[in-house]
Amino acid sequence: MSSDQIIFDNVSKFYGDVLGVNRVNLSIPPGITSLVGPNGSGKTTLMNLLTGLIRPSRGKVTVLGLTVDQPEKLFKLVGYCSQFDAFPKGLTGYEFVNSYLRLSGRDAAECDELAWKAIDRVGLRDAAHRKAAGYSKGMRQRMRLAQSIAHNPRVLILDEPLNGLDPLVRSETIALFRSFAKDGCHVLLSSHVLHEVDIISDQVILMNGGYVVAEGNIKGVRSEISEQPMQIVIRCDHPNTLASRFFEEDHIVEVRMHHDKKGLLIKTSDPDRFFTLMNHVALNGHKLESVAPVDDDVNSVYEYLIGGEDETIS
Amino acid sequence: MSLWLTQILAVMRLEIKKTFFARRGLWIYLLALAPVAIFALGAFMSRNFQVFETTLPAGVHLLTDEQLDSVQSGMTRAQIVALLGEPPRTRTRRLHGFDQDNKPIIVQQEDMRYYGENRSLILDLRDGVVGSIMSRGRSSFDQMSYAFATVFQFFFIRLAIFFGCLGIFMNLFRGEMVDKSLHYYLLSPIRREVLLVGKFLAGVVASAVIFTTSTGLQLIAYLSAFDAATVSRYFNQDHGTSQVAAYLGVTVLACIGYGSVFLGGGLLFRNPIFPAAAVLIWEAANPLLPALLKKFSVIYYLKSLCPVPVAAPPGMPALFKLLVSSGDPISAYLAVLGLLALAAVVLWACTFKIRKLEINYTTE
Repeated sequence: MSSDQIIFDNVSKFYGDVLGVNRVNLSIPPGITSLVGPNGSGKTTLMNLLTGLIRPSRGKVTVLGLTVDQPEKLFKLVGYCSQFDAFPKGLTGYEFVNSYLRLSGRDAAECDELAWKAIDRVGLRDAAHRKAAGYSKGMRQRMRLAQSIAHNPRVLILDEPLNGLDPLVRSETIALFRSFAKDGCHVLLSSHVLHEVDIISDQVILMNGGYVVAEGNIKGVRSEISEQPMQIVIRCDHPNTLASRFFEEDHIVEVRMHHDKKGLLIKTSDPDRFFTLMNHVALNGHKLESVAPVDDDVNSVYEYLIGGEDETIS
Repeated sequence: MSLWLTQILAVMRLEIKKTFFARRGLWIYLLALAPVAIFALGAFMSRNFQVFETTLPAGVHLLTDEQLDSVQSGMTRAQIVALLGEPPRTRTRRLHGFDQDNKPIIVQQEDMRYYGENRSLILDLRDGVVGSIMSRGRSSFDQMSYAFATVFQFFFIRLAIFFGCLGIFMNLFRGEMVDKSLHYYLLSPIRREVLLVGKFLAGVVASAVIFTTSTGLQLIAYLSAFDAATVSRYFNQDHGTSQVAAYLGVTVLACIGYGSVFLGGGLLFRNPIFPAAAVLIWEAANPLLPALLKKFSVIYYLKSLCPVPVAAPPGMPALFKLLVSSGDPISAYLAVLGLLALAAVVLWACTFKIRKLEINYTTE
């Protein structure tokens, strides 16, 4: 079977009586996909299922048409940078990347070239001949990332890949993920840093308590949360006139004047009718500086769907 | 070179380095070197017998080895004196004990000591009858050869190699679970069965190097007790070369046999103590097992391959006699094939486990 999708087909995983994930059905296309959810929501379980580190209690997982029972084929296409912050004892950073490349059966020269290329991509050439055990947390994270990308995978799975990285390295690492996605690869990552997820993701999978609660493009997910009115900020020259006009509409739930008297915060239960109304307003000669939704980001969607159950979400 | 072979070599490269230089494996080297130290010390004492025997009574008549060897346990004091004369040194004591009906009795105990050209003999007599015979001093070649065979069978194979392989092979998977680094292997494009074979061969190479080196050093140490002519005669006339080859071969086979068992143990059990205890008991109980079950034991094949048979000394308790006895030895050809087949069956069974192996470091 050939496919360019990562597919979870009715997948459940139980650890004894404890639920890992339940009835997960997903088709993940190429691009950057973020798994978002509080601790224990099942993000890492999903990634481990994807790579065969654990087996589903029920259902089936395929990655580009391959199952985890074909590791010799699967892991030519898949790289996984897990959360396990450990290295095999006694190896330098270079030996770590190079040794596991050698397991693929490539010759020494090719492995050497690929290892250095990956180490260069994470900017650790100078530290490559030091023992990996002596690295800082950020360096360990980057060296593990180098190991997972060294064989040029088409599917890159990253569990909290930005943890422990300083701001400069974070932006470089995000650029690296983008370059993979631009080349048509799957980049599946989990993160607690929602604003970064918002910036880098083509789509998100929101998880809670072992269930997928929403998936897809973040704006699309937001528009489907009908019970939460959408919040929109309008910057204009006559906010009072506009406010009185909005009060005539039954779908407008709330109108608030901005403290500088040059803008309004609108809450509407029907965004489609609201934007039609705004077209009329503009045609009637009102000067609108900007109209922008303020709660169609991951953070807001996460708040609406999961409700800030976990303190670690930022 | 085929892909699998290349991958096996890559796994071995990683594992051998880890095994040889692991700090937690230091005790294995000590275990392997312990018998070397014993034989080196024995050889040194044997060569310097006169130096250690500083309390030789003045004017003592030194007996020949033949005269000393003529003494048997069970002989009476009068028979000994008739053979060797009055002992140059003797010590008597009265010991309190119990008879068969559990009534208190007093036993007359006497130590008689005779001196020879190469060794001294200490006879332990109870109520005038020789019980145990202890020899001290320069050993004969046959005695040393027998001592080597005894230590090889009962310490080196059953304890040193057994526990050394336990440390090496259990760590191949379980150690990486504890270190949280096994997932790197499982995320590599390599069949898990190939990984298993690679790790096993790495363990065999590492353990074989450590323990055959030890066997070689033990042989050198024990042969160093003798002059060049004796050693030359051993190699040229007394099957020395084949015996040395047999000892080295048994060492390698022991590593393969115990290695496969403990590799499986490392995959199946979190705590190595339980499988180790179970295998140790199983191996010790081998002589008591029915003929069919005996074949599922590593020691069954190894005992048949040891070049110098070890017999139970007189007076040894029945249970220990069973451990010493070779049972029903099989031909060397069958023993080698049987042991390799046993290892292959264990490894084959392990492939089922490793295919479904999951990583769950939090429970380790």
